[in-house]
Amino acid sequence: MARRWYGADWWFVTISAVMVLGFIIVAMFPGLFAPHSPDDLVGPRFLAPGAHPDLPALILPSDSPDNELIDLAVPSDQPRPIVAVVQGVPTSGALNEQAQVIDNQIKNEPGGLRLRPRIERYATLEEALQAVVNGKATAAVVQSLEFEAISAQFPTLREGASITGERSTAGGFFLGTNDIGQDVLSRLLWGTRIALIIGFSSSLVALFLGVPLGLFAGFVGGSLDRSLSLVMDSLYAFPGLILAIAITAVLGPSMLNIIVAIAVLYIPTYYRIVRGQTLSVKEEVYVEAAKSIGARNLEILQKYIFPNVIPSVAIIFSVNVADAILTGAGLSFLGLGLPPTIADWGIDLARGQRFIQTAWWMITFPGLAIMLVVLAFSMMGEGLTEIFNPKLRER
Amino acid sequence: MPDDSLYSVRNLTVEYQTRVGIVKAVDDVSLDIRRGEILGLVGESGCGKSTLGKALMRLHTGPARIANGELWFDGRDLMKLSDREMPDVRGAEIGMIFQDPMTSLNPVQRILDHLTETIQAHEPETSGAAARTRSEELVERLGIRRERLNEYPHQMSGGMRQRVMISLALALRAKLVIADEPTTSLDVIVEAKFLDLLKELQKEFGLTILLITHNIGVVAEVADRVAVMYAAKMAEVGDVNDVFADPKHPYTQGLLKSVPNIRLEEGELYKMEGAPPNLLHPPIGCRFHPRCPFVMDICRTREPAFEPVVGGHLVSCLLYQTANVKQEGLHA
Repeated sequence: MARRWYGADWWFVTISAVMVLGFIIVAMFPGLFAPHSPDDLVGPRFLAPGAHPDLPALILPSDSPDNELIDLAVPSDQPRPIVAVVQGVPTSGALNEQAQVIDNQIKNEPGGLRLRPRIERYATLEEALQAVVNGKATAAVVQSLEFEAISAQFPTLREGASITGERSTAGGFFLGTNDIGQDVLSRLLWGTRIALIIGFSSSLVALFLGVPLGLFAGFVGGSLDRSLSLVMDSLYAFPGLILAIAITAVLGPSMLNIIVAIAVLYIPTYYRIVRGQTLSVKEEVYVEAAKSIGARNLEILQKYIFPNVIPSVAIIFSVNVADAILTGAGLSFLGLGLPPTIADWGIDLARGQRFIQTAWWMITFPGLAIMLVVLAFSMMGEGLTEIFNPKLRER
Repeated sequence: MPDDSLYSVRNLTVEYQTRVGIVKAVDDVSLDIRRGEILGLVGESGCGKSTLGKALMRLHTGPARIANGELWFDGRDLMKLSDREMPDVRGAEIGMIFQDPMTSLNPVQRILDHLTETIQAHEPETSGAAARTRSEELVERLGIRRERLNEYPHQMSGGMRQRVMISLALALRAKLVIADEPTTSLDVIVEAKFLDLLKELQKEFGLTILLITHNIGVVAEVADRVAVMYAAKMAEVGDVNDVFADPKHPYTQGLLKSVPNIRLEEGELYKMEGAPPNLLHPPIGCRFHPRCPFVMDICRTREPAFEPVVGGHLVSCLLYQTANVKQEGLHA
């Protein structure tokens, strides 16, 4: 029944292949897609997805042509603009600093414009805004979220840009920011690279060790086969993550060690499948026919058995990558994986777990990313299996 | 050993190691294959004829083992060659055609690669182009267009694949071709064409062919001599005309009577009593005695020798050896 439900059609494989391709492209060029560097503290902490950052913003009369702080600059012979701020908040300091920066930039330019605002302090937010309404001040600088909360009381005022020139109303962080102000989306995109590197390279290492071992064990048979199978079966009997934890605990946390640990985990998968296939292919008549025309063992292994075994390897490789990504994320989650500074899904997941009640987005999006990658790779593997294996196809 | 024999099998015994004991699938068999002849090897399923065919190339693996015997091929004993030397003989001097052409070609390899690989495996100095030309000439001789060399086995019909198998055997001018039930999976028309081709090739290339089959009709049509096997032993060997006209062994007689014929009335077809023996515990004495219509007391205790009756007509039956037996009895 389950098979009937996901009986793979071409579109099934197509969708998963497009997803896999997308992940690979993102992993190759995360810089093209990520709006920020994954390690920089680019925003306020714990900013919810799509939420406006709370920056000191310029509040102007609705009919004012100005929008940014630099627009307040006037020729030096005219009266300095008056800017209202609220007493006791750090806004005025930031305003002073920013005005100084802009003034230094423009004072040597032709036109003789200067930006030296007179800062007037008011006791409350309302008084500061009222000063702008009355015309006592050219503009006010207050936190944008505070203004938005009471903007209905001041219909003649509007919010301009933040004093640093950013549009304070723009949601700069699509998936929010984390506990130290890094962009969750950027870390997610850069994390794709780590996830795929771990997934692919550990699966490849496992493939390059497991396939030849399986071929030789299946072809030679006898005591070599028996002892190798014993080792592989005992590896296989371990719960996967536990064995990986043990190996990384011994080797220490680093990218290479994670890859080694996961590869060891998946060698038996390839070994068992290739050995089983080799056992059945070597009894085929065409192998005997090859012997009857004088083919030697190595040649039979190379030209007759290997090409007939490799399709099933290609299929399990895809499923295997998904598994390896999951295990890699699991290791990082437990703190046994990479150094915590690296943008990795498992690490972000572990970090998000501490703030699950205050910042749900920190744990949700890395979790979704892992799920999607694993889904794409397993879907592709399953789809390919069903397409290449007519025995599984619906009657 | 007669001078005209290409392959002399002497006292060959092949054993299978099974869970319940050792089974001798070929038991003390001696056989001569003469140069340039088609020798038909017939017998029931499980009588050891395919095992014998494989043993001639020492193709046994796993539980099978040649326990005893000499394999004199073209003047040397193949049993004395090492496992490393055997592949040089296989293909180059002895070729083999298998029962099922559907599974006897590598599904992931082009027909051309099968041929060039065979040639280059034995003659490494041959260039790829030369091997290709040779392959093309060969398959055209066998009635396959040269363009089809680039196809994969699944794109060809059963008859064509069987011809490809022959071309593999002919690619290196093998002296002996062992054809193990080559026509079993072909329909009668393709079978007839295939047998004609086999005869033509035998004349043209001076091939020697061992044709293993359970189809007496095929043997009657193409073979020069026939060997009948029963329960791992050789029952009768002789010229095909002699054996068919005057079968000596009671088993051969029964076998020939049990061939269906359109002219027979219903119920007239002869059915041999009993079933072939279990080779794990073969009958003591003559292996055919539980089913033999002419069974004598001595058959239950004494194993018949494999001796000539008239000319080159060898039979393993005490009916023709009782004189000797009686003489021996007198001496004793």
